[in-house]
Amino acid sequence: MRRNQGTYGRQRVADMAVLLMLAGLSALYCYDAVSASTHIYNLILVLPLTALVIAICMAQFVIILRDKAPPAEPAGRAAVAGPVMLLFAAYVLSLNWLGFDAGTCLFTGIFLYLQGERRWPWLIGYSVAFALLVTLFFRAMLPYPMPTLVLGLAQTGGPL
Amino acid sequence: MIDLAALSSALDMLFSSAGPWLVVVPGILIGLVFGAIPGLQISMAMAIFLPVTLYLDFMQAMLFLTAIFTGGSFGGSIPAILMNIPGTSSAIATAFDGYPMSRNGDHNLALGVALGASCIGVIIGYSILFLLINPISQLVLRVGPAEMAAVILWGITLIGSLSSGSILKGLISGLAGLLVGTIGYSEAGVTRGTFGSPYLLDGVPVIPAMIGMFAASELFRLAKQDYLVEDRAARQVDVRRILAGFRRAIAKPWIVLRGSLIGVFVGSVPGVGSSVANLLSYMATQRGSDEPGSFGKGNPAGVVASESANSTSEAGSMATLLALGIPGGGATAVMLAAFAMHNITGGPQFIREQTDVVYAIIIANFGQAFLLIGLGLVFIPLLANVVKVPMTYLVPSVLSMAVFGAFGLTGDLSGPLTVLVFSLVGWVFRRYGYSVPAAVVGILLGGMAEDAIVYSYQISGGQWSYLLERPITLAILSLLAASLFGSKAVETLQRRTGR
Repeated sequence: MRRNQGTYGRQRVADMAVLLMLAGLSALYCYDAVSASTHIYNLILVLPLTALVIAICMAQFVIILRDKAPPAEPAGRAAVAGPVMLLFAAYVLSLNWLGFDAGTCLFTGIFLYLQGERRWPWLIGYSVAFALLVTLFFRAMLPYPMPTLVLGLAQTGGPL
Repeated sequence: MIDLAALSSALDMLFSSAGPWLVVVPGILIGLVFGAIPGLQISMAMAIFLPVTLYLDFMQAMLFLTAIFTGGSFGGSIPAILMNIPGTSSAIATAFDGYPMSRNGDHNLALGVALGASCIGVIIGYSILFLLINPISQLVLRVGPAEMAAVILWGITLIGSLSSGSILKGLISGLAGLLVGTIGYSEAGVTRGTFGSPYLLDGVPVIPAMIGMFAASELFRLAKQDYLVEDRAARQVDVRRILAGFRRAIAKPWIVLRGSLIGVFVGSVPGVGSSVANLLSYMATQRGSDEPGSFGKGNPAGVVASESANSTSEAGSMATLLALGIPGGGATAVMLAAFAMHNITGGPQFIREQTDVVYAIIIANFGQAFLLIGLGLVFIPLLANVVKVPMTYLVPSVLSMAVFGAFGLTGDLSGPLTVLVFSLVGWVFRRYGYSVPAAVVGILLGGMAEDAIVYSYQISGGQWSYLLERPITLAILSLLAASLFGSKAVETLQRRTGR
């Protein structure tokens, strides 16, 4: 029972922290907008919206504080999503120097390994084939240079 | 109202040889592929293949481009239903119920419903266009920025209050989304909220943000599951179920008709188009339903509402293009370029002098809708096999495709970075009961809402009395107030009457 109360307490604190973060980010954006210009065209929507967001956040904050019932179970487990999010972040942030080909191959391979795939021919074969096909396809279709490592330096593609 | 001589000439133009139809099937297939792959847009497909139309006569060129448009309008629903990635912003509302249907094992049904609603929508949309092209184009000129601003605020309020467990959290999501949608250059000529990042000067890239919030955040949550559809029997690709879905769409004629009317009208408003039409149709259907709580959990009516509106908005945008010579969005802008390449100018004179060509374009689209049924029924079973792929392989593949698609949309790494940031935001929103759809719609419409309010301010000179001269705006604002406080007021009234 005590452990449940502790869990509920943590959920409530996390819920309130998210609210404060949303209100804080809205206020920060509004401050930046006001600093840029106080012209009515600049603030005609941002100012009233920010005031409304902060007011509703505060109302919801009070509701959570007063609510004695256990909070709803948060959707999604951080233990499951955490490693995937970290890997995805590493993939996106490394694209500039790893390129889309090598980055995608590594991301796919590491993901498969972390999810329990131990058949090495499958793991390596799928990662390489998938990264190669998708990179070549998008490089051919898109009119922009795409950073790649193994498939050569940035090139401009296009089907026509 | 209908010029029979022009109609006869149009039929002759279309059916005296097979020439005009030879380009339709490739056009629909190109549209399906570009619509079904997130990151590849319909307008991109049309722009890429625009040079091909130089070698075609004007009628063939129009048929080819409208076929891409028709195929793409439906194609965008496929990733929305199977992977929660709306291929285009016009398929956002399709994902609301289409993806939950897939998760419940009803992916065949959902795809069939989407195909049925799209095809019927195209037919109804072009029928309306056939009968009312002139009145529609005149009506469009009456919709001002004040009406647009009111519709957007009403829409955000409705989606926020209906799509989340907590009304307040839903409203916070929608309003915060609107704020995010205003980041970048303002009408005052200054930048806000960029915090020094050049990537944000033009605002947050909307579709990558949408992909991050809808798809990537959901995939993080599903990483430990074995399959998208847990029940093995439900994973089968079943053409009979697809056909049953098709029939299900036909069995909801009022939803299709309402979606089509919304699609034609909203689609004809330049700069608005299908991205708003599908949301308005979805909201109208949810509000009118006996079970509004079932929406967002896999109600086929939601898919019908969205798909009928987004496919019909093509006809609406064609109305503005043909009658006024104004493109409603990216796809019709490419068509305008094709007009120019063939030395043709859209507008009242074009409709008056070349009515037979206008009729031929409209009639050809009826044919395209029937061809789409056949091609869709071949194409869908191939794509529906995605539910048989283990999540171990599906998650990294879809995440990578999302990153490639986002890069394709922005042309630099701001797209993938936006997917990353908004996937994390989306995960937090899902975890703590905020409305992801409301936030996404807010991001999509934030810039448009601000522009509309600024223009209204400029027109009115800052006088509130201007609103009194806009009855449509007042009516929409009343609906907004009713949707926020109406049920509370009725409850209070009933309590007092009870006493």
